[in-house]
Formats: sequence, structure tokens, C-alpha cells
Amino acid sequence: MNNPDEISRRRFLKATGAFGGASLFRIGAPSLAAVTQAACTARDEEAAFNTLGAEEAADFAAIAARIIPATDTPGAAEAGVIWFWDNALGSEFSSLLPGVRSLREQLSANLGRPFADLPEAEQDAALRSIESDPRFELWRLLTIFGFFGMAKHGGNKDHMSWDLIGYKGHHGAWTPPFGYYDAEVEQANGE
Amino acid sequence: MANSVTFEQRKPVDFAIIGSGAAGGIIAKELSSAGFDVVVFEQGPYRKASDFTHDEYDVIIQSELLGGGPEVSGQTFRHDESEIATSPIIQPIRYAQTVGGSSVHFSANFWRFRESDFIERSKLGPISGSNFADWPMTYDEIEPYYARVEWEVGVSGAPGPFDSFRSRPFPMPPLPVKSSGVLMEKAAKKLGLHAQNQPHAILSQPFNGRNACIHCGHCMMFGCEAGAKSSSLAAMIPLAEATGRCEIRDRSAVFRIETDANGRASEVLYYDKDGSEQAQMAKAVIVSANGAETTRLLLLSASEQHPDGLANSSGYVGRNLMFNAHSAVDGVFEHPLNDYKSVQVSRVIHDFYETDESRGFYGGGGIDARPLWSMTPIFHALEGMPHDVPKWGAAWKDEIAHNFTRQMSFASGTTSLAMDRNNITLDPNNTDQWGRPAIRATYRDHDDDLAIAKFLEDRSLELMDAAGAKKFWGHGIKLSNGGEHLLGTARMGDDPAASVVDRYHRSHDVSNLFICDGSSFVTSGRGQPTMTIMALAFRAAEHIAAAANANEI
Repeated sequence: MNNPDEISRRRFLKATGAFGGASLFRIGAPSLAAVTQAACTARDEEAAFNTLGAEEAADFAAIAARIIPATDTPGAAEAGVIWFWDNALGSEFSSLLPGVRSLREQLSANLGRPFADLPEAEQDAALRSIESDPRFELWRLLTIFGFFGMAKHGGNKDHMSWDLIGYKGHHGAWTPPFGYYDAEVEQANGE
Repeated sequence: MANSVTFEQRKPVDFAIIGSGAAGGIIAKELSSAGFDVVVFEQGPYRKASDFTHDEYDVIIQSELLGGGPEVSGQTFRHDESEIATSPIIQPIRYAQTVGGSSVHFSANFWRFRESDFIERSKLGPISGSNFADWPMTYDEIEPYYARVEWEVGVSGAPGPFDSFRSRPFPMPPLPVKSSGVLMEKAAKKLGLHAQNQPHAILSQPFNGRNACIHCGHCMMFGCEAGAKSSSLAAMIPLAEATGRCEIRDRSAVFRIETDANGRASEVLYYDKDGSEQAQMAKAVIVSANGAETTRLLLLSASEQHPDGLANSSGYVGRNLMFNAHSAVDGVFEHPLNDYKSVQVSRVIHDFYETDESRGFYGGGGIDARPLWSMTPIFHALEGMPHDVPKWGAAWKDEIAHNFTRQMSFASGTTSLAMDRNNITLDPNNTDQWGRPAIRATYRDHDDDLAIAKFLEDRSLELMDAAGAKKFWGHGIKLSNGGEHLLGTARMGDDPAASVVDRYHRSHDVSNLFICDGSSFVTSGRGQPTMTIMALAFRAAEHIAAAANANEI
């Protein structure tokens, strides 16, 4: 909480580029542009983490990025899920913070170096070794909430996750047909 | 919120109504329209349609409309008395704390019960270990009130092949079929079953000055921002307030009904929005707080004349809790269904509604087609994934990305049997945020409840196969660990030794105390109780008004 090394969001994004970068280039220009733009907003220039310290934030961001990795589409890092962690662990989920932290400390001690510094394959192996720990489930939940929740909660930048799954939740209203199979019936009925 | 009227606390109001939900809202509208002064107590805030959002994180994960989780309610759960009740992560007893109650956040699937529901005990005989009984009324007696609900609250639908008789047609045509409904029709045809229109307490057309459904897809667990869901909030409370005789006193948590020297209800004690104790005098009290809150309040209102709780000389207050059991089968199809759009359910199968003694157990239910988990992204990620997929990583992500728009469920709602062992009591240790003893639920499904849920899951698997799902899986039948349907805990009946209220919802013990909500139910129906709660409320209000006019309260 009182980490003297609090860093700006911009600096953080630079730092995490090391593991996000390769995947990001696979995404292609439009998504990369979106991430870059988001990272460069005035808010991101100014803001610092409120709850997490820099080192643990880097680890947690790397953990979230393995739980929902960038593939040919963006993942937790690109969606800014760590900002959700920071917001939620400082407010509605503050009671989870000790558990969230203690598992990282345990993992770091076992690894002998920061999780964020490991190659992806070793990160995955490290997470698999603790995935039955209830505290890992907290990490997973925070990542899911941040990735799929509304952008206003800190993650899901530019509705990235909704685009990924085809959910258009920011639209308020629909008219039929809604999907392939009811459209087929409408067509058959000559409507 | 501005009310059209504010009543004095020290002057007895005609009726104090505790709870503004499916029953309380209707009773308030009916009694105020009949010329009585009423104060409606609601512990939640007065949200309006414009306050409702599509924010899944706030509404579902943070339990916004529930008023928070167990950390504020203190609620506990256990399967039976041998266990120590504990607070789970998710609220075990789920109901909305907001003006309009759970009629605000329910999915609005809206069946009438059938003739058989009211007389099952006579038809089938006793069931061991249960308090299985007939209702003290028949379908004929409640039918006019079902028609009133449809025409006054606003229901869309079309008759199904197994429905009991109706005196009036539906006031509005059904809502449009969804891809999940089309696939259910296809499967039902193959298997010789009948996929019928799902009736909804949702407007398919503009009605009574309200807007039609805009198919935004946020019915289940969300409030309706269009005012198209026929909640008490949208359909009844505005009419009640317009009489100038109904005050909605929101953020007012009732903790005791006081009785006078004659043992009659005289005063409602409550905490206001600042947590200060307040009192409202009343000539009569109507409790419509839901099967769990109603129980708690009656137990908290024990006095010298009513040592085991108000209206509890039978010992039946809190007993016979029924949740309705469930099953769910998920399927993934070749093309996008986009079932996150529009209402949850457009088609339902009622071929298995009746008890069939050849199955070897009591019970029945409906199977409906709906997105269920696939209605919103977080819900899908948490609950909707196939069981053979890892819980994180690239494979998991690919599965979600592919399935979200292509997935649907066949979900069943089933019977629950009334039993002594399933009940609501006061938790001996925990309190809620107002300091009231917390609600403790004790519940272990009857073997027959689990058997019918399993039977319907098996039928749902067959249906999913027949519908042409590329991949499908059942979620399995587990013991209930909580519920939204809070039924049976102050059952109605003619025998004061085996029921809490009479056939018109007057408590056997206290002549000016009425109880009307899901707690009045004698049997559970098949999983869609709100239509019947609303019909009971119209019927109760009529009899309460008549009794008041005849000075018989």
C-alpha cells in the first residue's frame, strides 16, 4: 500500500511491454494502436497505482496475462486488467488483498526471482503448480472481472473483451432477428 | 423520492404493508385505490427505471440490487441441523432490496399454476417425510385473479397445449422467438414434445402508458430500464401513489411488529435510512416481505402473548421452505444464436409438468430454452464453460471467444416438497447491517426433488442432442445451497394447527395481521412462482378491503 516506488501508469505499461510486446505485434496494427492510444491518455500519464506496489503490480499483471493471454487476439495485459485489480483491491475487494498478496510472496520465494521476469512457458508451469490453491482462484476471478466487466471498472479497455466474444453489451436495444436460427425461420416464413 | 403523501407516525394508518414487492405492491395499489391509507415499508432504496444499468460487475458480482452479500446481511446456510451454518461467498437467500422487491430483478417467466397444483395431495396421496397438502383453494377460485394479473400488470403470451382454462385471452401477443427457442422447437418436434410460447411479465407492446420491451437482454438479475418488465415498481406502485393514499417509505427496515394488550398488531418498528429507530402506528399490518424476511420478522415479534413469534402458535412459521430445484444442460451450436439479446426464455416444454407415478417419485417441471450463463460475459466465464476445458489460459480464452454467442441452455425448474427440516430461523450468532438477527436457512432437498431434477436433466440432454448441438454437457444435480424462490414458510390452510394464515391470508392467531407473499404457498409449483404470488395478492387485497369495510378486522 505504501510502496515508495509507485510508478505512473505510463511507466508501468512501458515496463510490461516486455512480455506484452511480442503478442501485441501478432494482433496487428488496429489493436496495437488502441493500446498505445490508451496508454498515452492524459489520465494514464498522471495516474499511479493506488493500492499495489510497482513490483507486485508487475507480477500480478504478468499473472493476469497468463490467465487470459494475448494470442492472435488481445488478453488481460492489453485490456489493462491490472488497473481493475488495483481499483478493486483498494475498495470492494480490500478484504482479499492479504490472500492475493500472500500467494505471490509464496510463489516468489519458490521461484527465487520475480514472476514477471520468467519466460511465458515457465510462468504457466509456475501457475499450474498452484492452481488448486484457493488464492489462485482469487487471481483468476479478479482477472475475469477486470477483463469482462465494464471498462469503467478499470479493465476491458475499449471493450476489447466484448469484441473478442461477440458481445455488444454497450448497445441498449435490439430488434429481431437476434441470431442465425431465428433469422432462418423468419426467412422461411417470408418475413 | 417525492411521495404524494406522508402519514403521521403517531396516528394509526389504515394499513402498514411490509414489503413493496410482487405482493406488497399490488396490495398497496388495491387498498389505496379502495380508499384506505397505506404506508409501504421497503428496506431498500427507491430506484426508478432510469437508475437501472447493464453493469454486470455491480449488479451481479457486487449484488447491487440484493443490497450486498453475506458481509452485510450476515445470512448463513446449512443443509441440516447437524451442520454449523456458515456464511458462504454468495448470498444464500437472494432477493432484491429495492422498491418493487424481487419483481424488479426477476426474469419475468410467468406461468399460471395448473388445476392440479392446488389438489395434488388429494390426487397422489401422502408423501413420507413431507407436509404435502392441498391448497385451501382450487384453480377455479384463483383463475379470475390470474386474469387480473395478466390484464392489470401486463403479461405477454399465448396459450399452451397443457394450460388450464382461462377466462380471458392474453392481453398481448408473445415476445418474439429467439434462436434458442427455434432450436427447442426443432428438438421437441423430433422427440414428440411440445415447445410452447413462454408467457412473460414483460410487455410485447406498449400497454397502460408503459413502453414495450426493447430486447436489451438484461432481464435476469437486472432491473428494466425501459419499464417494460411488469414489476410492482413499473406496473403497480405508480398507480398506488397516484391515489394520494399510499406512501412508499423506502430505506426503512422493519424489525418488529408490536402488539397491544389484546394481542393485536398495533405498531411497526423500523430503522430509518440513518439507522435510527422509528415507529408507525397502524390499524392493521400486512406482511409481504418474502418467505425469508417475513419469517424473520414474525419470529422477531415474539411477545408475552405470542412467545414463539407472532402468528406462530402452530409452530409453522419458517417451516416448509421450498426453493424449487433446478437442472441445466448447455449446448454449443455451429452458428451464433446471440442469445444474450432479448428476454431469457422464448420457448418452454411442459410435457413433464405433471407427476407421473410410473417414474417412481413425486414431481414435475418445465424445461425452457435460454442463454442462462451466456447472457453476460462474466457469468459465462464463471459458470458457462465446458467441464473438459482448462480454467485459464489460451485454450480457455479460445473456448469463450467461440462459445459465447453460440451457446444456450435447456434449464428446468421443478417441484420441491414441503418439509419440517427445511426452514428459515434466526441465526444465533450473526446480525445484519441494521443489527437484526441474520436469516439462517436450513435446507436439504427431498430425494424426490433431486430425482425429478435428474429426470429433467436427462430429458434436456436428449433435447440438446436432438437440437443438433455440436457439443453439450449437463451441470449435474447438486443439493441446493440457497435459492431465490422463498416459498411455504407461512403456509395458508384451514387448520390453525397446521398453517399460519387462513385461505384469505389472515393470520389464525392475530385478527388484524395478514401475510401474503411466497410464504403463503402450500406446494411449490414448477419453478415460476411470481405469477401466483401476484394473483394471491389481488385476491387477498379484495378480501382484506371487504373485511375492513365490514369492520371485521
